[in-house]
Amino acid sequence: MNEEILRAENINKYFGINHAVNDVSISFNKGEIHGLIGENGSGKSTFVSMLTGITPIDSGKFILNGKELDVKNQVEANRNGISIIVQETGTLSGLTVAENIFLGNEDRFVKHGIKNTNAMNREAQSLLDKYGLNRINASSVIDHYNFEDRKLIEIVKATYFNPKILVVDETTTALSQSGREELYKQVKHVKKNGNTVIFISHDLTEVLKLTDRVTILRDGVLVETVKSNEVSEDDLKKLMVGRELNGKYYRTDYGEPISKDVVLAVKNVSVPNEIKNISFELHKGEILGIGGLSECGMHEVGKAVFGASFDRTGEVVLEDGTQIDSIPTAIKHSIGYVSKDRDNESLVVNDSIRDNICLPSMDKLGKNHIILNKNLSKFSNKYTKLVSVKMNNINQFVSDLSGGNKQKVALARWIGRDSNILVLDSPTRGIDVKVKADIYALMNKMKEQGKSVILISEEILELLGMCDRILAMKDGALSGEFMRDPSLTEEDFIAKMV
Amino acid sequence: MSQNDSAREKRRKKFSEKYLGIVILLLLVLTFWAVFKILTPANFGTPSKLASYLQSCLIYAVGGCGLYFIVVMGLWDFSIGANVVLSSILACYFSQKFGYAGLIIAPIVCGTLIGLLNGIVYIKLHIPSLIVTVGLSLIYESLSVFATQGSEQVLSSSYRAFGQYPGCLILALLAFLFAAFLLNYTKIGTYTYAIGSNEYVAKNMGVNVNKYKVIAFVLGGFFIGLMSILTISYGTSMTAASSMSSMSKNFMPMMGVFVGLAFRKYNKPITAIVIGEFIVALLFNGFVALGAPTTIQNVVTGIALLLIVTITTKPVKGAVVK
Repeated sequence: MNEEILRAENINKYFGINHAVNDVSISFNKGEIHGLIGENGSGKSTFVSMLTGITPIDSGKFILNGKELDVKNQVEANRNGISIIVQETGTLSGLTVAENIFLGNEDRFVKHGIKNTNAMNREAQSLLDKYGLNRINASSVIDHYNFEDRKLIEIVKATYFNPKILVVDETTTALSQSGREELYKQVKHVKKNGNTVIFISHDLTEVLKLTDRVTILRDGVLVETVKSNEVSEDDLKKLMVGRELNGKYYRTDYGEPISKDVVLAVKNVSVPNEIKNISFELHKGEILGIGGLSECGMHEVGKAVFGASFDRTGEVVLEDGTQIDSIPTAIKHSIGYVSKDRDNESLVVNDSIRDNICLPSMDKLGKNHIILNKNLSKFSNKYTKLVSVKMNNINQFVSDLSGGNKQKVALARWIGRDSNILVLDSPTRGIDVKVKADIYALMNKMKEQGKSVILISEEILELLGMCDRILAMKDGALSGEFMRDPSLTEEDFIAKMV
Repeated sequence: MSQNDSAREKRRKKFSEKYLGIVILLLLVLTFWAVFKILTPANFGTPSKLASYLQSCLIYAVGGCGLYFIVVMGLWDFSIGANVVLSSILACYFSQKFGYAGLIIAPIVCGTLIGLLNGIVYIKLHIPSLIVTVGLSLIYESLSVFATQGSEQVLSSSYRAFGQYPGCLILALLAFLFAAFLLNYTKIGTYTYAIGSNEYVAKNMGVNVNKYKVIAFVLGGFFIGLMSILTISYGTSMTAASSMSSMSKNFMPMMGVFVGLAFRKYNKPITAIVIGEFIVALLFNGFVALGAPTTIQNVVTGIALLLIVTITTKPVKGAVVK
């Protein structure tokens, strides 16, 4: 039965400098349901979008039934027997249900340029009926149906032609129990016909129940392919999140009590579709960590504290009772924020290092609204030196700098502003160890000066190594709290966040 | 019994999914008519007046049919006014030489070519269609000035069949049927919606996005050509435009298109465009009947334009709008 149908050979994909899929080779068997798991950003979706022609492959090849696959879009993939149900809405509004099902394949209904709409509607309706969806009208515009029905229509679209390979990319989260059952039924049906399903999901219970084998990706690299009946959920979690231990740059102190003074309190903060009812306090001189999976909402918490969230409810209050509701108020009251998205949200990359550093401090650098270049240069020279930015001079554009040095510029501006509270979102993402160590040292120094830091990070070891206290988040809510402790392990934390 | 009920329920649902929008629009027509009729019973809404409102609404609705293909894709065409001016002038000129053949063929060819040019320039320059069409409309206007040397062109009284019933109605109905046919019975309709809904997905489905964008502009121009036949026949004369004076002619066809967009869930966009134009005609004539200055039309048009665009475009929170 272990007959190979599809093989991925040394697949690579880069997005800029980010190596999203790193030399991945996987073999898929006929008649198997093959799970594909990993954290967000681990490369699962990129991998399958290359298979289905949505994203071009940088190097490597897919071999289907012994022949190299060359598809440029989803319809060509379909013709080769590969279909995908995507994570987001894959149906198009404004089109009828039938037009959606046959999009890209309407030629079979076209004669002399005229489309036989009635025949198309009839065929779509009979397909819908066959799938038990007779409550859906094939000729109605799809906008009449809710998200779940539209997903079910997508399932029909992806499976009606009996594909050899069906990819299900993180679809179940959008579905209710009955929708899931319908999907499982179709997935098993594909398998029964001797065809193959590639099943991507974060729900590990579901993955283990449904699949025959599971491949784990981490940071674009294949970690391992395991047999589903030989592993537990915990094994999978460890394989997904586990990172190499190298803790020599972290803090070494343990057991020093944190100050009782609360400098900032977050009370029942919610942001629609992002975070729910988050409350916590930040103490003087504390490094407070927030960790979880990338989509758990922790990045939004950083924005909410800085007054940058949309439609936020609840309160962010300083010790003197000041409410932080907007970015200018936050900056005025000595809060700094470094976004995860360095190039788009943090830095003005097409501008000089000097201007970037001075940007939030303009009010302090001028006299009677007159700003002298001399002052700006002095200011930025001082702080680039303090954080040791590697550059030619302060007039160099930020776009010329490496990721690590860009991050140093972002930090320098808030240190220059003398911020008392600094929110750092993934400050060491994509940064080499040397700069990482520098950034950790800066955080330590701030702590010593009695300043407070909120460190939001996807790297658990970094949180364990640097923070006085760590909050775990899951699905937009807080799910656990850990105090700094040498006996605290990655596994303890992972258990709360996955 | 229960099966009967569910079948009835399904029929009811199917009805509401398809016809509810049209019912709402017709109710709106009735409401506006009634309101103005009550306010000014003497100068509004008599059958003969309604017929004249309908005639002007038909002109704009024909243009709206073409514009619909463009706007559904999320593109704009602000060269309609200039296109109408130039096409109408050519219609006058060629009707003197070739009679009705010239009156019909010249504006259709001219309109379609302008549409083609709009589409090609938009695709080649990779800049917003709004800018492309505004820029090109200045050129089309200038062409109209060169062609006429500034003198007014009058359509000879022997070629005015499309300026009155039933000629205008027949031509308009043919245009509506053709637009509905394209939307429902060709790939063009499907792909137009697909590109408008999500260009990226459409591309993944093998749709040649650029090709269909050009097709949309060409169709847009074709229908503007038809609109020009009606415009010159109804108005009987046309003066060349310059310095964007044709710009105000863009908005009336657009109004109907927005109604068509707002009700497109019901899959009868052409009907919605026609009724939408009729509602707008009722509104304007209602205000005029009330004694409001005609400038009020511009105020209403301006506000309606901003409102409708705000409602129909769903901005992403925090997105940068330029």
